[in-house]
Amino acid sequence: MNYLYDCTFDGLLTCIYEHYYNQKCEGIYCDESYQGNLLHDAITLSTDYSKSEKVYRAIYKKISPQALRHVHYAYLSNDYHKGTYILQYLVLGFKVGAFIDNYHAYEEVKGIHTLSRKVSFEAHRFLGLTRFSDIGHLLYAEITPDHDILMLLADHFSNRYLHEKFIIHDTKREKALFYADGHYEIQALNKKTKLLFSEKELFYRELWKNYFKNIAIKERENLRLQRQFMPNRYWKNLTEI
Amino acid sequence: MDAGNSLKKLRILADAAKYDVSCSSSGVERKNKGGLGNSRDFGICHSWSSDGRCISLLKILMTNKCIYNCTYCVNRCTSDHERASFEPLELANLTYEFYRRNYIEGLFISSAVEKSPDDTMEKIAEVISLLRNTYHFNGYIHAKIIPGTSPLLLEQIGSLADRVSVNIELPSRESLQQLAPQKKPEAIVSPMHYLSNKVLESRDNKRYYSHAPKFAPAGQTTQMIIGASHENDYRILKATQKMYDRFYLKRVYFSAYMPVVDSSLLPALSTLPPLQREHRLYEADWLLRFYHFRAEELIDQKSPLLDLEVDPKLAWALRNIAIFPLEINKASYEELLRIPGIGIISAKKIMHQRKVSAIRHEHLLKMGISLKRARFFITCLGKYEKDLHLDPQFIRDSLVPPHENNQLSFL
Repeated sequence: MNYLYDCTFDGLLTCIYEHYYNQKCEGIYCDESYQGNLLHDAITLSTDYSKSEKVYRAIYKKISPQALRHVHYAYLSNDYHKGTYILQYLVLGFKVGAFIDNYHAYEEVKGIHTLSRKVSFEAHRFLGLTRFSDIGHLLYAEITPDHDILMLLADHFSNRYLHEKFIIHDTKREKALFYADGHYEIQALNKKTKLLFSEKELFYRELWKNYFKNIAIKERENLRLQRQFMPNRYWKNLTEI
Repeated sequence: MDAGNSLKKLRILADAAKYDVSCSSSGVERKNKGGLGNSRDFGICHSWSSDGRCISLLKILMTNKCIYNCTYCVNRCTSDHERASFEPLELANLTYEFYRRNYIEGLFISSAVEKSPDDTMEKIAEVISLLRNTYHFNGYIHAKIIPGTSPLLLEQIGSLADRVSVNIELPSRESLQQLAPQKKPEAIVSPMHYLSNKVLESRDNKRYYSHAPKFAPAGQTTQMIIGASHENDYRILKATQKMYDRFYLKRVYFSAYMPVVDSSLLPALSTLPPLQREHRLYEADWLLRFYHFRAEELIDQKSPLLDLEVDPKLAWALRNIAIFPLEINKASYEELLRIPGIGIISAKKIMHQRKVSAIRHEHLLKMGISLKRARFFITCLGKYEKDLHLDPQFIRDSLVPPHENNQLSFL
């Protein structure tokens, strides 16, 4: 038996609840991307906030705040099996409690730690790799990360650009982070308009490209190392390349 | 602003600043208090240039017009390079606009000496003060201190900047005398001394009252050139260790010498930069700072060069093979750190896992711990991996591929 959820975090936690209080399941998948198979039938569960709230609190209290963070980060990853991994991790977690993150040699723990690390690493990368353009009254950035990290960027950038207005647009997932006057929100945004930059904006872009070129030491050229830190898939949104 | 002129200035002054190694933006956690920007203690890299070095700060010179004639330097007064200078306001504005677009994490400002050290540092102080007080900029600022700067200016800059650094340039007095006769060793050491005292003092004050004024909260660093003079690795590492012991520096940076000048005192222009040697020195530096090693353990006067084939920790283990193998389930944290191939993260994972169950070989793999080097030096529950011998020559042969194209290095 597989449970399907509506791709929200609360939906996922509802499935965990049903696993304990209703019927046991083998896997949990997001209903948008689920590929059915002959061995398991699937039931789509509707999200119930009272149930998800209970699971949320239980993870926090009976396992640990850190485990909750790992689960949330793993949920943000784009791994197809993430729901199932989270289920297995939590089943072990409710057994052993706060020590769960010491069980490095267990598959259930390793899987979640790997996903969580990938997500937090990418979020950290995008603190640097997000490039804004001044489009008159606000700053606008386009990003195409592998994982759904928009939420993890929010606190950092809203503190950094306290008095600015900005949009960070995840063009791959067609949603965006909007910030103005101390508040941020994540909303769907699929419009991709061709932006026209002012002369001033073009000037600073030119300066930055110029700086980027001149700061490299030619005798030490190492393009492989550059790509290792800054993989090709991120290049299309970078001003300097 | 005149666009063509600004482009030209940026080109010249970024090009002249690229030999400064430091680019870190870590060590300060500061929230935005109503201006632009914040600082994160983990540091953020924003881009990587084609040499694979990260770009975190806008690394730039105030001017490259110089009265000094240091033999190794591109900006020395006898070179026929193009010259340019920034106005303080111009540079502050550039930093501000770059920062708004998230191109950079802050400013690393340095300069050649146009008239006198104090005159130059006054301009640098003006840029920093503009950014902090007029633009209310909370991003990271690293200020380079010119040898011979007066304490009053050091005080002013240290209270506004996050990190300060004085370059010692060369690892010994003799080579400084030879290659940069206008820079006196005392003029380098005295600001370092002053700054380290101030940093310690402000840190100490902070323990007693929380609003104590900060002084360079990300500490002090320095940089030296490797391969321009004759010093061996032993002297370099001893000098490095002295910096940490005496001045409590955050870091010592090494810069492999790029032959930019044709001079009888320096390596020929065709010499390749000693990148592999620089790499090994950085590894040794890491061992000093995070792994509780002392320079004397890593290297001695009899064989004063680091092994270019293997890393310094492995080389140390091969010389001290008698203390191995270590039992993974019993060794202390400090002992674990001494096993080649086991770093801080792996050592912590082992300590954690040990609390819940005994560790066997297959567990180490599952924990994501690389055994490539470590497997020669450990036992798990008393078992040493079969087919391996605890013999230095055997270990070296297994780890170093026979046809390695080692880079030729100038010593």
